[in-house]
Amino acid sequence: MTTLTFNGTDRRKTFRLGDTGIFLALTTIVCIPIFLFLVFPLFGILVRSLSTDDGYGVGNFTSTMSTLRFWLLVRNSLGVSFTTMLITVPLAYAFAYALQRARIPFKPFLRLAVLTPLFAPSLVQAQGLILLLGRNGALNRFLGFELEIYGFYGIAIANALYNFPYAFLILSAALAIADARTYESAEVLGARPWRIFRTVTIPATRYGLVVTCFIVFTLSMTDFGNPIVIGGNFSVLATEIYNQVIGQAQFALGAVIGIVLLIPAVLGKSLERMVSKRQHALVTAQSRNLQIRPALGRDIAASVFAYAMVLTVLSIPLIVLLASFVRLWPYNMTLTLRHYQFDVQNGTAPLWNSVYISLATATLGVLVSTLAAIVVHKFRNSLTGFVSFLAILPAAVPGMVLGLGYVFFFNNPDNPLNFLYGSFALLVILSVYYNHSQAFLITSTSLKQIGATFDEASTMLGGSALTTLRRVTIPLIWPTLLGVWVFYFMRTMVSLSAIIFLITPATQVASVSVLQLSDRGAINQAAAFSVCIMGIVIGCLLLVRGVLWLFGAKSVALIR
Amino acid sequence: MSAYVKFLVAVVVLSLGVMVPAAALAQSSTITVYTAYEEDEAAAFLELAKQALPDIEVNLLRLSTGDLAARIIAESGNPQHDVLWGFAASTIVNPDILSGLEAYTPADIGKVAPQFRDPGGKWFAPTGYMAAFCVNEERLSAKGLPRPTSWADLLDPVYRGEIVMPNPASSGTGFIQIDSILQMKGEEAGWAYLTELDKNIAQYIKSGSRPCHAASAGEYAVGASFGLRAIKNIDEGFPITMVIPSEGSGNELEANGLVAASRNKDAAKRFLDWTLTEQAATEYYAWKGIVTIPGGRIPQNFLDAGLPEDVSTVLFPVDFQKAGAERTRIIETWQSRFER
Repeated sequence: MTTLTFNGTDRRKTFRLGDTGIFLALTTIVCIPIFLFLVFPLFGILVRSLSTDDGYGVGNFTSTMSTLRFWLLVRNSLGVSFTTMLITVPLAYAFAYALQRARIPFKPFLRLAVLTPLFAPSLVQAQGLILLLGRNGALNRFLGFELEIYGFYGIAIANALYNFPYAFLILSAALAIADARTYESAEVLGARPWRIFRTVTIPATRYGLVVTCFIVFTLSMTDFGNPIVIGGNFSVLATEIYNQVIGQAQFALGAVIGIVLLIPAVLGKSLERMVSKRQHALVTAQSRNLQIRPALGRDIAASVFAYAMVLTVLSIPLIVLLASFVRLWPYNMTLTLRHYQFDVQNGTAPLWNSVYISLATATLGVLVSTLAAIVVHKFRNSLTGFVSFLAILPAAVPGMVLGLGYVFFFNNPDNPLNFLYGSFALLVILSVYYNHSQAFLITSTSLKQIGATFDEASTMLGGSALTTLRRVTIPLIWPTLLGVWVFYFMRTMVSLSAIIFLITPATQVASVSVLQLSDRGAINQAAAFSVCIMGIVIGCLLLVRGVLWLFGAKSVALIR
Repeated sequence: MSAYVKFLVAVVVLSLGVMVPAAALAQSSTITVYTAYEEDEAAAFLELAKQALPDIEVNLLRLSTGDLAARIIAESGNPQHDVLWGFAASTIVNPDILSGLEAYTPADIGKVAPQFRDPGGKWFAPTGYMAAFCVNEERLSAKGLPRPTSWADLLDPVYRGEIVMPNPASSGTGFIQIDSILQMKGEEAGWAYLTELDKNIAQYIKSGSRPCHAASAGEYAVGASFGLRAIKNIDEGFPITMVIPSEGSGNELEANGLVAASRNKDAAKRFLDWTLTEQAATEYYAWKGIVTIPGGRIPQNFLDAGLPEDVSTVLFPVDFQKAGAERTRIIETWQSRFER
């Protein structure tokens, strides 16, 4: 293995010869929009956090951090995020492993079903959890349990369900590519399956594991939809931003917490760097794809586990689906279609706006995040560490903070980009950068699995870095890119917290309609609207699937 | 290779180009209105406004009070709206919002009593809402609890863990509830009462309507919320009762104002004039608990839910100027004592 892997220095030398220009051009293409649409808006927030009554200074930080409450919130946030991570990552790893390395019936169904939590706004997800596990939820009311969901465990369960699909997407990409020869040698040497798992599989997916932990942890730190609905009196940093900004219009104090929340991103970045150095490529020139051989015991165990997981994950969307068809949950359970006659502002028009925005976001997003991943992983250089930090930064930014940053930055009449304010284009750009981290990390995980030997061979044969990319890298990872496209589409259909600050009367979106309905207590109608969103997302997935089928790519999985 | 670069550039340019629609062109007859009226009532009012003002195109953005306040302050360097409509008076007095408004006095301003408008002329409030409890009858009988009728009743230990209330730090409704108690009892007795009440509160929910939804869903027995929320949830069919606290109900005004930076003040002023017409008033009565201008009747379902013919008999006479002025201090005190 080691003989096939080249260290960074060698690679860099090879590329310096012909590709400096291309590298610089690509880095510029990647960096300029990141600065315009991420760094500058966030810088505005930083400035806010530093502005006090008597000029600029760290007064807001010192006064916030000197309160006992702040440290209590930090403890709450850390506790709930670590718990979420400890629940989610092992389960998602086991699930991805079962799907990639065992024979289970109806894998495409399992892959799709496990993503359904991402198809509805997180608001509906938390509401669904209450319908199921609340004090008057289905389990307590109809089965006589006495569960109390509000608080720490409510948030942890909701976060775990919500983050499971992200974790699965990354880990699945990590486990998708494997070199059969390593496994065969291990077997020939007499290693038992558990030992192979520990010494081959885990090290090979170390990068994926670390970035999954990072994503799950930071998303739990910054999510406020779940804690606000199901947290009860358990406050976290993200809800405190809501308290400060939405409740009391205290932008400076909200911005302080927004900045504090960036710390995990900085730590995560250095961790990623450490692991990145030790991760070796899996697919090299001599690789053969791993063939999964039947093994009855393993396959039955994997199937039982996978179906149990899917059932757990599906319970929430299913109860939302049910709630959309009953007259008045939970008092009058007769079936009705009346909740599908939407009387919310603009009716179903926001649904189509969302579809339009999501299609544009998905296409632009794949391009932007893939370019960033390629610059970082295929053109290693002194700048790439910085670029990759920027690329994963959005995960640490609460949507509310990014949305307000956009308002401050783009609504400034002196900004040459002011013309974007109030347009669909800005909603698209916001969505591209808001979801950039996950997209970037999914692509990166795939790119990490491809050995430098390809680049070497291609270079020696006279191909430029771009030729290698076009002829070798892209053909190897394009199914992942398709997955990223799907990911962007789904996320943009349902995300709410950032986009709510940028919608105008002419650019209403579906997730805001759901919020309006839920705000005025029409829970069943909100559920029905969410079901329409889910339907569109699933329809879109099937459509893409069909197109692939037509083009003959039958074996390519949309979701790896 | 260059073809590849061309392709890349073409895709980027195309995807940007397709998405940049003409930035909202300011037509002379178009105005943008920001409102915090509940979504369904805003739609009903707007329908009538469009009939009365057929030559004005009204673009309406509806957000909750807090979301809208954040948006207005964030946009204050370059306001995007012409009219602020149906917005909590205790928030409109925030200097960052008030400074963006311009004094305007509609011809019919005489209809609005002086205590319902800004002495400086920047806002007037034809409507308002009041605090009320949503009480779930099913849960009361399941737990064998009496129906509370007053704030004082809520201190009874039998309600421990069965009451939810809005967090005043993030909800305007929550603020008017505790502020009315403090104005009613005086600060010392008021805080003492809230300390006692705190023992029975299961959750301080970060929104004014959610406590009523939680009670309606049967999650808790009592949700302190506001009157129209209760009435609408009764109409939806939930097994709840509206209880107006017998001590007098805290209340909030919903104010309208003209944005100083409006590029189309004539149309904006005509819209504001319309909000005081008899036609508007008639519709207010169909939707609002408190209407400060004459011209309509309280609907039967409101009366059935327990709203009296003369609403002023159950309202606590809130000093709105005082409420606005002491808001920050009261919230800070509340947070330091009760926020967990």
